[in-house]
Amino acid sequence: MGGLLAGVLLVGVLGSAGYVYYLDRMVTHRFEGLRWTLPARVYAAPLDLYAGLDLSQPQLEHELQRLSYHQVSDLQQPGSYRVSGDRVDIDLRPARFADGSRPAMGLSVAFGPAGIADMRDAAGREVPVTRLDPLLIGSIFPSDGVDRIVVTPQQVPPLLPAALKAVEDRTFDTNWGVDPMGILRAAWVDLRSHRIEEGASTLTQQLVRSYFLSNRQTFGRKIREAIMAVALTEHFSKADLMNAYINEIFLGQDGNRSIHGFGLASEFYFGRPLSELDLPQIATLVAIVRGPTYYDPRRYPLRTLARRNLVLKILAQQGVVTRAQARAAARRPLGVTQGASGAYYPSYLDLVRRTLQRDYPEKELTEAGLRIYTSLQPRVQALAERALDSHLQALDKWHHRSGEKLEGAVVVTSPQSGDVLAIVGGRDADFDGFNRALDAHRSIGSLVKPFIYLTALETGRYTAATVVQDQAVSIKLSNGRYWRPHNYTRRTYGPVPLVRALGDSLNLATVGVGMDLGLGKVTGTLRRFGLKQTPDQVPAMLLGAIDISPFQVAQLYNGLANGGFRTPLRAVQAVVSVDGKPLKAFPVQVTQVAPAADVYQVDSMMEQVITHGTGVPALRILPPGLVTAGKTGTSSQDRDSWFAGFSGGDLAVVWVGYDHYQPTGLTGSEGALPVWAHLMTSLGTPSLEMPAPEGVTPTWIDYLTGMGAPPGCPGAQPVQVALPTGTQVPPMPGCAGGTTVGTVLERAGQWLHRLVH
Amino acid sequence: MKMLAGALALGGLLAGCSLLSPPQGMGGYPQPQERTVPAARAPGPNGEAPASQPVPFQGAPAQPPAPAAPMQRQFTLGPAATALVGEAHAQERTRNFGLAAQTLERALSIEPGNPLVWIELGRENILAGNPTQAYGMGRKALYLASGDPHTQARAWQLIAASLREQGRNSAAYAAEERAAALSQN
Repeated sequence: MGGLLAGVLLVGVLGSAGYVYYLDRMVTHRFEGLRWTLPARVYAAPLDLYAGLDLSQPQLEHELQRLSYHQVSDLQQPGSYRVSGDRVDIDLRPARFADGSRPAMGLSVAFGPAGIADMRDAAGREVPVTRLDPLLIGSIFPSDGVDRIVVTPQQVPPLLPAALKAVEDRTFDTNWGVDPMGILRAAWVDLRSHRIEEGASTLTQQLVRSYFLSNRQTFGRKIREAIMAVALTEHFSKADLMNAYINEIFLGQDGNRSIHGFGLASEFYFGRPLSELDLPQIATLVAIVRGPTYYDPRRYPLRTLARRNLVLKILAQQGVVTRAQARAAARRPLGVTQGASGAYYPSYLDLVRRTLQRDYPEKELTEAGLRIYTSLQPRVQALAERALDSHLQALDKWHHRSGEKLEGAVVVTSPQSGDVLAIVGGRDADFDGFNRALDAHRSIGSLVKPFIYLTALETGRYTAATVVQDQAVSIKLSNGRYWRPHNYTRRTYGPVPLVRALGDSLNLATVGVGMDLGLGKVTGTLRRFGLKQTPDQVPAMLLGAIDISPFQVAQLYNGLANGGFRTPLRAVQAVVSVDGKPLKAFPVQVTQVAPAADVYQVDSMMEQVITHGTGVPALRILPPGLVTAGKTGTSSQDRDSWFAGFSGGDLAVVWVGYDHYQPTGLTGSEGALPVWAHLMTSLGTPSLEMPAPEGVTPTWIDYLTGMGAPPGCPGAQPVQVALPTGTQVPPMPGCAGGTTVGTVLERAGQWLHRLVH
Repeated sequence: MKMLAGALALGGLLAGCSLLSPPQGMGGYPQPQERTVPAARAPGPNGEAPASQPVPFQGAPAQPPAPAAPMQRQFTLGPAATALVGEAHAQERTRNFGLAAQTLERALSIEPGNPLVWIELGRENILAGNPTQAYGMGRKALYLASGDPHTQARAWQLIAASLREQGRNSAAYAAEERAAALSQN
């Protein structure tokens, strides 16, 4: 009997010893190999500063604030700036770019009437050009949502571990991973105050819980946690455990993204690196550790503030800081940044993710700590979001159609480089959902017309002054039926010059030209400019029966804004490994896809869209004198309202419509155009200044007749278009300055002849 | 070997860097004005447009009919772009072509309409073994250099070098002829 009991005991002891041994090995093994998976970090384009840049002092300060630089009276640490007179002195943080890194440096920027006048470093040497830090705009985290920034012990302000020990685990430096006295003390304190003020778990136990165990609260788990904490303490240094704790622990939730580690929490709550945090900010993070949901400083600021001040009190009691320091810190506000994530651009990140999915498996993006440098310009993104949202809100008041919300999308590019500066996927730009900029494939309507007219010019048989007939057409389709398109106004306009046919978006004239050219030729032009699909070869294609996304429209129009050079749009510029090695670059590419002279002529006609045609409402919004070119688009029954246009520096495509294809009752001029014009205005974009290629001559013609009509010609609407040098236009009757008669009328006659025969 | 030939072909292009004389008179119609210091994008606090709006080049009805005479001008690089081009050259000397391209793209974002930057980028693409891209950049530079025969000549030299790298010798020869003819003017 006694033997049996001894045997059971022996088995029990051996079994327990075996279990302890197993846990010990497991913990040691896993902790030795501890390597956090690091989501890819995504950065916006850094702003280059140089003497001559048209950037005002308040604008620079705004950019610095976007990067969470704070204004001080004495520069003492990176991440701050000082304003003195017309000079801004910046203590730049160390920064990593796609092509290398820059150490922390002092930079003194002097302003003049035209922007930045002079830049010097701390030693007074002239700096010709330097960059601000790239703004972190997001990360590509795995489906479990775990996001973190890993910091080294050198990047941790010494106050943080001291505060963690004082508040969470006073015997951390000497205990065995568990602290029985601490448990008793915590129970006593909690009992006395009837609330939970002190935790019973050591930092090591919290680390074990977070890294190894599920969150189920069972007695067995408590035992296992204690054994594993002791094992960790046995095998690893306290410094290693503290560093692991700082990088591992959960500190907040942002939608489906969970914030782990103090490095990320610092960026998430304060928008700055951990090394720059001051006492009240560190105390806030230490307060959050106790319960990131309960002490969410954005949702429960008062509760969090009280807890932070309690932390400060404990720090003073424990001698970590002086009482005076704690009192001063307690008077400070929480100071967390607005918006759950500071800068969060789901639509743009969506494009980044899709670009990289071609080259990188999901695991590499979410785990390998890649650094991804993009073309996003946060300022442009913010302005695009605002332009769309404010105009749609205004339209909501007038257009209560189906009870459904009017939606929209915006794409902004820099035409020369093809850089995608901004992507707005819907009016709720913070919502990571249906990305209309990329996924709403909608009928482009009259946006197709410039490509038809470019095709016409390329034949050499048409110019902007060529008179074509806007008249009823009836085209027999392959199914035996007849297609009878009409103009938006349901009127016909008779003989009109090409510039007016495009400017007023006349469907019948366009169909006539398009049928003369052939659908195949027009399709060829679209494909040269970057259309991926081949549209159905039906005449309705000439009126834009082509369903593509705003992003694809931006690719097509980028070539028009770019003198006939196709430049693939790019969101990602470079990918760099976790240790700074360049992995992949997406360089600028250019291919000439149309003669510059022909594109120049089309662009000069597209300028008239805005000065005389369907784009005229933009003039009420655009700054006086700003030269832009563009085209409205309206699909059948007003389901889609488009505007695509460009200045000398920016291209923007705007779509407005309902997700479920109900008619909006809005033309391109009413829905999309105002968004575009407000955006262009707020951007401060430069005028369109195309280099005039050889072989074309700017010429004044009458918008209505195409006859030569210099400015001031009575009864005419003179517009300036580019015509092939040597083109003869008949003068408008009663106008001086026209050129030789004949050619255009002859050409029109020939065209009519071909149409009839 | 091929790289060497490319480098040799580039001799003429690099020599063209000395084209830094003051801009000549401009006038007349809508020719774009080259900007040695570009009016780059200006970030605005809360998005206001900058106080100074770009001046339009056309649309003023009082303007007389445009003269047809071709306009002469000369492109130069601004100080910031010059510094970046110098940095790119240093990166090329250590054969860091990828970095050099990224540095030149910074120059491009500062002066996107300056053909000299495109010529630099094209030259870099030849060094990096991408003559097809270099050709596209040569065409782009040629387009932007309208009215500046010196820069046009350099663009043709780039086009010639890119064609030669692709083994298209007769086309390269024709491009060199164009460059030579422009240089003589």
